[in-house]
Amino acid sequence: MSWVLLAALVVPFVTAAVTLFTGHRSDVAAKGISVGGSALGLLLAWVVALAHLGDAPPLAHVFTSTRTVGPPIELAVYVGPLGAAMLILATTVAFLVQVYSLGYLADDPRYPSYAALVSIFTGAMSVVVSADDLWLLLVGWELMGACSYFLIAHHWELEDARAGAVKAFLITRTADLGLLFAIFVLGDRFGTYRLSTILRVITEVAVPRDGLWLPALLLAVAVIGKSAQVPFHTWLPDAMPGPTPISALIHAATMVAAGVFLVARTYPLFLSSPSTLTFLALVAAVTMFLAAVYAMVTHDLKRVLAWSTVSQLAYMFGGLAAGAWSAAVLHLLAHGAFKALLFLAAGSVVHAIGGATSMDVMGGLRDKVPDTFVTMTIGFAALAGVVPLVGFFSKDAIMHAAWEEALHGRLVWPWVAWLLVVSMVATAALTVAYSLRAWLLVFFGEGPEVVHDSPATMRVPLVVLAVPTALGGLAVTVPGIIGGAPGEHLVHWSTSVLMTLLVVATAALVLVLYRRRGRAMWGPVVVPHPPIDWVWDRFLVRPVRWLAVLVRAGDRDVIDAYADGAAASARGIGGLLRRTQTGSVQGYLMVVVVGATAIAVAAGLLA
Amino acid sequence: MPLWWPLLVASLLFAIGVYGVLSRRNAVLVLMGVELMLNAVNINFVAFDAQLHDVLHAGQTFALFTIVIAAAEVGLALAIVLLVFRTHGHIEVDELRELADRDDPAELSAPQAASEGVA
Repeated sequence: MSWVLLAALVVPFVTAAVTLFTGHRSDVAAKGISVGGSALGLLLAWVVALAHLGDAPPLAHVFTSTRTVGPPIELAVYVGPLGAAMLILATTVAFLVQVYSLGYLADDPRYPSYAALVSIFTGAMSVVVSADDLWLLLVGWELMGACSYFLIAHHWELEDARAGAVKAFLITRTADLGLLFAIFVLGDRFGTYRLSTILRVITEVAVPRDGLWLPALLLAVAVIGKSAQVPFHTWLPDAMPGPTPISALIHAATMVAAGVFLVARTYPLFLSSPSTLTFLALVAAVTMFLAAVYAMVTHDLKRVLAWSTVSQLAYMFGGLAAGAWSAAVLHLLAHGAFKALLFLAAGSVVHAIGGATSMDVMGGLRDKVPDTFVTMTIGFAALAGVVPLVGFFSKDAIMHAAWEEALHGRLVWPWVAWLLVVSMVATAALTVAYSLRAWLLVFFGEGPEVVHDSPATMRVPLVVLAVPTALGGLAVTVPGIIGGAPGEHLVHWSTSVLMTLLVVATAALVLVLYRRRGRAMWGPVVVPHPPIDWVWDRFLVRPVRWLAVLVRAGDRDVIDAYADGAAASARGIGGLLRRTQTGSVQGYLMVVVVGATAIAVAAGLLA
Repeated sequence: MPLWWPLLVASLLFAIGVYGVLSRRNAVLVLMGVELMLNAVNINFVAFDAQLHDVLHAGQTFALFTIVIAAAEVGLALAIVLLVFRTHGHIEVDELRELADRDDPAELSAPQAASEGVA
């Protein structure tokens, strides 16, 4: 089984290489190879993952390890229920994205490199979710950052795309330093880089409360950056100029999900450090509300979805901080399904009206792109938490856990827990509002003529994703599938009823506003943006530039000056000697004669 | 005849030769200076040979050697002078500075090209 997993990890990279080498010769070959390789990877991943869901013993295997001084670096894999579920999510969404891209990027000249990067992205995410060695995990982690940079900059002729890609890369890369240093600290503390060993030691040996706050905090910084939480949240909405399927991939199954996955994977470490969980809860509480407010007021469909991703990820972190591991992981999987659906549907809408992403030019599309309308409705409903859909169950489970934590929890500080609960409730209402607003603006009212309905390759993935979005809620009845504690109940009637009432009330309010004011439901509200980018620019970017200037000056004016000075002085002294080489033979002879005479005279005098 | 008479003549001759080699610009005159120096040496050989009553007359023999070598030397040297004249159009010794160590290699070829133009 471990070799199947290794094959599942290698196949995407091989696919990418083959796609790159053959893709520019034949369009059909590029598409066939990338989709076929993706399907093969999907198959292998499912074979591995299905065997390790639920109570099955986890797959742990060390292929090889280094023999050096210090803790060995191992090519070690570990697939437990969580890893298996993530493997399924990542490869499935990646496969659907590949299929979808056949239609979406049908005429794109850069399709081969795009498909290859999607393959690498998938492979990197598979490495992250199945790695047991921290360095292996870091490799996948960084590879995703690099791939997201390239994919966001797919349309590199656009200024926005380039700037967004650089921003995404720099911000996530800065935060990734946390992961690197966490690895150093953990390796130093435990004498091994095997994640399963470290977690077992933490679980079995009673670590003093907050004894491991430093690695936990460093990991928290890394995942906050990767998952675009405050104060690293600004890169995600700016990453929107990338192709829409890429947004689906980044937002649903891979990049940002990796952050939540890492916290879930190393959860015993976080549980041993409540102060880090408090920090995480605070970040989540601020992020979810802020992002939801931005999603309310933005006019760009993709940016609405981007902000909602930030907000929903904050839900997951909030759930993890409140101790609701199963609920948070379930929400991660559910969000992976419905956000992929929403982004792909948004891509379908954008494709249908000819490329504009602003909701101002959309409207009335419900009977022009009927398949997209139905599936996107399901997606928005799941995002808003409407009753039978998957988002409802997972969100309610998280909210109930936060409520319990606030009442009589001991993980996070009480006031932070209360802040988290308040923020979650407010954000749930806002989520309903912005989902409904986007839905109304896109599908109702007067709108443009449809250029072309989406091809089948784009509609089928939507339908496929709509299935888990609609029926995924059944999973809450068996939390054991993803490795949650046995006997854990994720459905709570009191919270569910309250939340449903909240959803209905908010929806009614929005509908009344829509009836009364039309498309400008709450007008052009300008939400003051916290000067995060300004702070980064002033305190990180500029100091780094100053340091760079300083280093350059030191290199050029000090170090180089010594080297140049040595050369120049040798040259100067040599120049003096060169004066004698006049080329005048008689001059030379004169020196010889005078010298010989002088020696003769001296010899005569001395003798 | 006291020894210092021929030695004085030889010294004067050698000094004139050195002066000629060092100060003449014409290559042929420089060669004549060299000849003068060689002949000053010959006078010394012969003078000491007579003074020391050498039975084998080694001094006179060496003088003959020197004359032969001088003839060969001047033959070779005149051939060089001839070639210099053909390539440069002159035989001014102080103009022949191609072997000087200069910064700019172009400076080396420039005078040569100019003189070829003259030739």
